[in-house]
Amino acid sequence: MDVITDTVYENFERSFDEFKNATNLTKQEKATKLASQIDILSLSRNGLTFLYKKSLELEKEGFFNGTPWSDPEKLVPFLVKGTLLNGHPGSSFEVLSELRMLYYLNEELSESEQRISKETAQDYMEEVIVHNLEFAFKEISEETRSLMSEREIKKAINLFGFLLSEIEIKGIFEKLALEVKLTCEQRPIVTRKARELIRMLDRHFEADSEQNKNHFIKTYINALYAPSKGARDHKNLDDYQNFVENCSRNTLYSEAEEMGEYMSATGLVSKYHAMLLKKLLSDTPELVPVLLDLNDQGKAEWEEYRIMLSQLVMDIIHPENCQFIYGLSEMMRRNLFVRRVVRVGLENLRKIKINPQVEKRILKSIVNPSPGLSAIQYLMSGVIRVLGQPLGVGQGNNPTCQSARGISMWSQHAPAKLIDMIITVATQNNLLIRFENHDLVSNQLGKGLLEKLDYNLDVVSVVLVPHLDKIYNEMMHRSYGRTEDPHKWVNPSMYGHWIQVGFASCYDYLSNSIMDFTGFVRIFYAAFHPDYNGNRHLVYPNPVGIFITSNKGDMVGFHAISMLRVDKDKDDQTRVYFLNPNNEGRQNWGQEIKPSVYGQGEKHGESSLPIQEFAARVYAFHYDPLITNSWISNVPEEEIIKVKTLAEQSWGKSYIWSQQIKLW
Amino acid sequence: MANCFALMGWSLPVIESMQKLGKPYVVVSFPDFQHYADENNIPFLPYSLDEWNDTSNSLDLAEKLKPFNVDVAVPLFEETVEWAGALNSIYRNDPRVLNRAFLFRNKAMMKRKALIGGLRVGLFEEVHNKEGVKAFMRRLNEANLQLPGEEDSWVHIKPFASAGTVGHRLLKSMNDIDEKCQDGDFPCLAESHLPGREFSCEAFVHKGKIRFLNITEYVKLGYSNFIPEGHYLHSKRDLIEKHVQKLVDIFGIEYGMVHPEWFLTENDELNFGETACRIPGGHILELCGKSFDFDALAAFVLCHDPNASDEELDSIFPPKDYRPENYNGNVMIYPRKTQFSKLEIPEELNNEPYFVDHSLVPPLSTQKISDNREGFGNHFGTINFRGEDPDRMTELLKHYEQVDFYI
Repeated sequence: MDVITDTVYENFERSFDEFKNATNLTKQEKATKLASQIDILSLSRNGLTFLYKKSLELEKEGFFNGTPWSDPEKLVPFLVKGTLLNGHPGSSFEVLSELRMLYYLNEELSESEQRISKETAQDYMEEVIVHNLEFAFKEISEETRSLMSEREIKKAINLFGFLLSEIEIKGIFEKLALEVKLTCEQRPIVTRKARELIRMLDRHFEADSEQNKNHFIKTYINALYAPSKGARDHKNLDDYQNFVENCSRNTLYSEAEEMGEYMSATGLVSKYHAMLLKKLLSDTPELVPVLLDLNDQGKAEWEEYRIMLSQLVMDIIHPENCQFIYGLSEMMRRNLFVRRVVRVGLENLRKIKINPQVEKRILKSIVNPSPGLSAIQYLMSGVIRVLGQPLGVGQGNNPTCQSARGISMWSQHAPAKLIDMIITVATQNNLLIRFENHDLVSNQLGKGLLEKLDYNLDVVSVVLVPHLDKIYNEMMHRSYGRTEDPHKWVNPSMYGHWIQVGFASCYDYLSNSIMDFTGFVRIFYAAFHPDYNGNRHLVYPNPVGIFITSNKGDMVGFHAISMLRVDKDKDDQTRVYFLNPNNEGRQNWGQEIKPSVYGQGEKHGESSLPIQEFAARVYAFHYDPLITNSWISNVPEEEIIKVKTLAEQSWGKSYIWSQQIKLW
Repeated sequence: MANCFALMGWSLPVIESMQKLGKPYVVVSFPDFQHYADENNIPFLPYSLDEWNDTSNSLDLAEKLKPFNVDVAVPLFEETVEWAGALNSIYRNDPRVLNRAFLFRNKAMMKRKALIGGLRVGLFEEVHNKEGVKAFMRRLNEANLQLPGEEDSWVHIKPFASAGTVGHRLLKSMNDIDEKCQDGDFPCLAESHLPGREFSCEAFVHKGKIRFLNITEYVKLGYSNFIPEGHYLHSKRDLIEKHVQKLVDIFGIEYGMVHPEWFLTENDELNFGETACRIPGGHILELCGKSFDFDALAAFVLCHDPNASDEELDSIFPPKDYRPENYNGNVMIYPRKTQFSKLEIPEELNNEPYFVDHSLVPPLSTQKISDNREGFGNHFGTINFRGEDPDRMTELLKHYEQVDFYI
């Protein structure tokens, strides 16, 4: 519908008058009716223009009163999409709210009318667009399509088309570019989101323009679409294939070198890369280390295990699963193939017959499964990715942070155990883990935390998580009622002997309060802070329970992460480096506590915080009481008070604090 | 002019109208509403209107209302008609006001009164069990000279005191009686099926005279109606007004509103269905106010005041013989499927010039509804229309009643 009859406007004006004349008693009911007209008007450009002009007046008359949209300062850009997915009437309020923000941004208002600054409005609008690119660029995902009616999709597309035409696009470009950089810096195993963003940036923004010529985003775009001179000249994959078949060794070398550099810089691999690797393996294997951009250890691995590696790669390589090449390179850099157990494990894995249920799960996790690739090929390449990028494991939209951190830890410290576990589950669709002299068989257990698996996961997680989740949950069940946090027993059993059996929690089950928080922090510092623990370093990942707080510092819930190391950053500040399996290391936990993922000494995939900020969110951790006890008196009071103050003023407000001293 | 109105029940639009009217009032309702009332500065007296005993009765209530200086009670719910009647009996020192309230709450008594007064009603009887209904149907068949093999005469059963269509069953055969009647239905009123076109009207009565008569055209009972009445009913307006005044006279109604339902036959005869004396359902007064451009709810309240002056009443009602240019109608939307997950507004509604607005809300994820609905069950929202042509209006309302908004 592109033309609106005048009666629609007349009806709107009449209803708006009724709304204005209503008292607070019936305003909400009348607002709902007005929303039904906004719903219709927002289907057309003229309608949106009309609503835009009315938006501030509607706000002033109390259209948003008593709704989550009432205070423009408190709007959360991240939530807009969910509201749009939910449909009318929420989506109609949302449309008007966006128009109103645009009004604050674009119109000259008197000081009293300008309820929020233009900068805040600008920032908000940009964030909203960044989180709703599929509407802005009219590329609706299947998931969204299944949740929204045609009409609601049309409404959302129309709204974002309008916003894009009325707003300076430069800021959005910068935000998206930064999003790509920070996502890729974390080197996630699942690169779907990063690839999607890069594709959109490439297609919809003038990334090629003169002013963007030297922009860092070019590196990422090139990594996917033009990772070498040959690829730039032969965009079509068949052309590129022809090109590599017929070019000189020198050209192959420079192709390999350029691609290797792009891969190392971004963690992203292109289809050209897969083609070139295949060509090099068969004709010029000595150039493979160049293409993989290997360090000296990696090169040594290649020399030693060339035959085995060639066969492994030739078995699975395909342009559609090219991303595993990065994992392979990382595995070689970490010298994993030197370990006999890893080589044997992979050899065993190659020969398995995958259980049909597991096969289904694997293929379901691939967006467009390629007919040229089988489930075992996807699984093999998935295993290589997990082993190469242990810190790239994520939980997706699943409440399974415990399982994700387990996979990450085994990948780092017990790769052969992980491969074994994968083989068991992939062939049997079942898993056995012992807990306190009881064999827990996942297929015989009830539901875990998982209601319905979100398949936006890496292949290994798709295979393992449903089983790990059930077993973890069963262990938790069996440990409830012991008057202490069940994690005390569950973590060492679940993850293995790498976990210290000493355990501290600031939450006291019997008194339902936070007990002796000072003592708790003292142990944490004596165990982990290099200034007070005799400069000992963390060896294995430490499963830590944290309070998740909102950007206002309020208690939201609990979360499982892995503490990886404690080190000084370049400013000599002591920081905790940790793995946050929720795929999003960057968050705002309130009180200016914002985990960083880049620029503070983080390795790819690590998040970090100054130690006092980190400690202020921890509620439980494992430690070695025998060593730690001798360092306890070293921890200065003022450090503990810093942590306690942060805790008390955030999640601590949701708990009773007991001053009782505890015998730790 | 009344010192203070006691509004019996709970209706935000009525309270809003009273605030705008600037007349003193107090709302009498269940204690649950106290919090909301306090927050919104609504004068409020909590009372357990669903209890009648030594501590909860009209004398006690009248006593509690004294500090508010109440002298007129106005019923907002069907269930508060007796309470208002009892209070007004006290205020007007006339015990028969209460008896009249009972009249509205017992459909058999109501019919008998109408019959005595000379209105056309169907055959009716109080029945106590299924056998009673069968005997009633048999006598009806006899009177209708049924031959073997012919269909049974239709019988309706209704609870004595329920609003609108709640508990109403149409029985078309002896089998129907066995299948549709339940023990909990009895005792109730059985009556013969009245032929004719069904419609309702709302008469605002003051000092025993109709001050304003609204006629509502039913497109489908319980689903859709519009105001003012279409061409055909309008041509019978004088006849209708005469009958309504007759009803008012027979029942001895002095103040307030009657909301009778009629059946108009092809021979211009009016059969009386039933009547109520509270605010009609289906947003009728809202539509009426929009079409005639007055505050119908405030007028409803004001009519209950014996001391309201003619000037006051004249200023609130539309001018005599005013005929609106636009028709306002609505259709109430019920999910047609038993399981549904989305609200979907059809495209065709977008550019429908008669469409005004709607209050439809999306279902709570996947929602199921059970089949044993009372009356028509709860509707999920209303779609409002407005336009100049009553025939087009009828067409639209018929059409949208059939559309699946919930899929």
